[in-house]
Parts: sequence; C-alpha cells; structure tokens
Amino acid sequence: MAQTVNTKEVDEYLEQVVQALHRTVRYAIPHVKKDAEIADKAVKDCEEILSVVMEGNVSEWLK
Amino acid sequence: MFTDKVEAKDFAKMDPEYQDLLRRIITIQSDCEIGGPHLYVEKMLPNAPTKLDQLLVARTAAEEVDHYRKFARLAGDIGVDVSFVLSQPNQKRYVEAFRGTITTWEDFAVFGFLIDRIGRYQLEEFIGCTYAPIEPLLPDIINEELGHIDYGATQTTELLTKGDESREKVQKAIDTWYIKGLDMFGRSESRRSERYCHWGIKRRTNAQARDAYMKEVEPLIKGMGLKVPDPLKGRKYL
Repeated sequence: MAQTVNTKEVDEYLEQVVQALHRTVRYAIPHVKKDAEIADKAVKDCEEILSVVMEGNVSEWLK
Repeated sequence: MFTDKVEAKDFAKMDPEYQDLLRRIITIQSDCEIGGPHLYVEKMLPNAPTKLDQLLVARTAAEEVDHYRKFARLAGDIGVDVSFVLSQPNQKRYVEAFRGTITTWEDFAVFGFLIDRIGRYQLEEFIGCTYAPIEPLLPDIINEELGHIDYGATQTTELLTKGDESREKVQKAIDTWYIKGLDMFGRSESRRSERYCHWGIKRRTNAQARDAYMKEVEPLIKGMGLKVPDPLKGRKYL
C-alpha cells in the first residue's frame, strides 16, 4: 500500500526538526555551567523550533 | 487467537476488524506521542528550574516528536494520514490525560514518573504484535521512554527534599496523575480490548495491563514516602 500524500514529506520535515533539536541540546549541555550565553541561546533556539512543531501548520511546512 | 505475522503489503487483505483496530491504535499512539509535548513545552521549556532542565525538556520533547514521526510513518504505510493530530487542540486528544496543560514543575516531574511509564506499558503491548512492522520501532522508543521515566522519578525525588510545601505539591500531583494514569488503560470490561488481544495486536487486556502497572508503581510511590491515592476515587473508566 502506498504512503498517504503527506506522510513522506511530513516525515522528512520532522526528521530534520528532531535532528536540529538534538544538535542544539548536545552542543549546549557541556556549556551549561561555564557559559550561560550558549545555554540561553540554545534554549531560545529550541523554543523557536518547537513552537513551529506545536503550531502544527503542516501545509506551511510543506511549502 | 490470531498469531500470524502481517506485513504492510498484506494489510489490505486482512479482516476488516483487524484493519480498523490497527488503524485506530496507531492513530491513538501517534496522538499520545505528540500530546506530551503539547502539554508541557509552552510552560515548562521557558520555566524549568535550571538551564540544564530546560535543555532536557527540549530533548524530551524532541524524542516524543520523533516517536510521533515513527508512528505516523507506520500509519502512512496502511493508508492513514495522522497529521491532523499535530494541530489538534489539547481538549480533543484521544486520551484524557493529554487534554490540558502542565504549568508546574511538580506536575512535569510526576508526569514523567507516572505517565511516561504508561507510555512504556502501551508500547510494550506491541511486543510480539501480529503487525510485524511495529516491532523494529520498539527498542529505541522504549529506551527513550525509560529515560523520561527516570528523569521524572529523579526530579520527583529531588522535589521531595525541598521541604513540606514542595512535598505537598508533589503529593497533589501524584493524586492527579495516578488517577488519570489508571484511566489511561481504558475500561476493564472493554470488548475492544479483548478484540485487540484476539488479533494479537496487544498482549494484555486493559485490566491486566493496569494491574501490572499498579503493582509496579505503588511500591515506588510508597518508597518516596508518599501516599498512594485510592485507585477508585475520581476514576472515569473502571
């Protein structure tokens, strides 16, 4: 059975999102105690990325 | 009882009841995976107690989004588009525990300790599932859920060291989430639950899974010096 229309594209989009979040967190964790600026920026970046996912505006993602 | 293994290519040949049940359970699982971040990202990511906790909230959410993605792909393989759950208001979530917002760290910690554990139970139901494509997804997802449970348990324990007021808030969170958690297993007399078992989609009935959960979690709550709530009080699905 073939994938439904959106599934493959949404899958690819979310895979990139998840990778970006993991990269951001992985980079920031070792800096948490010594460099608050890096941690702050990472948290902000994660907030921004996740706010797009939470909005769930799939048609925008696929443009 | 049905025990054959079904591949995606053979799904359309299966009994309509099997198809309906599988579509339903994969949709609900997808909804639950994305339902977690929808509960806590907005308030807990900016307000977690430390920078490290903020980053761990983000990592937890990333893992749940990835779990959603994996189940959504599985749904796509059988012709179901579950992307509607990405924008679904919390009040419309399939499972009642996800119909709200987490606004306190006590609730976030206890949610990990108790509700992510139910997430693990739900996933473990699929071990040996007759729909073969599910099984390869399970080890990584369950492993990540174990991480969420451990983090929730650690945070809960830490909150208990912070004085009487904090302990009271944790107990209140336990009182809320334990009951919501028990309801997540569904009704004990559910006919659908028996049909899931009949078709080998799930391993246990609702009642069996809930009993196992209670046996696991009650000693953990008591071990923290907390009171186990009355398992019948405030329940919606007995």
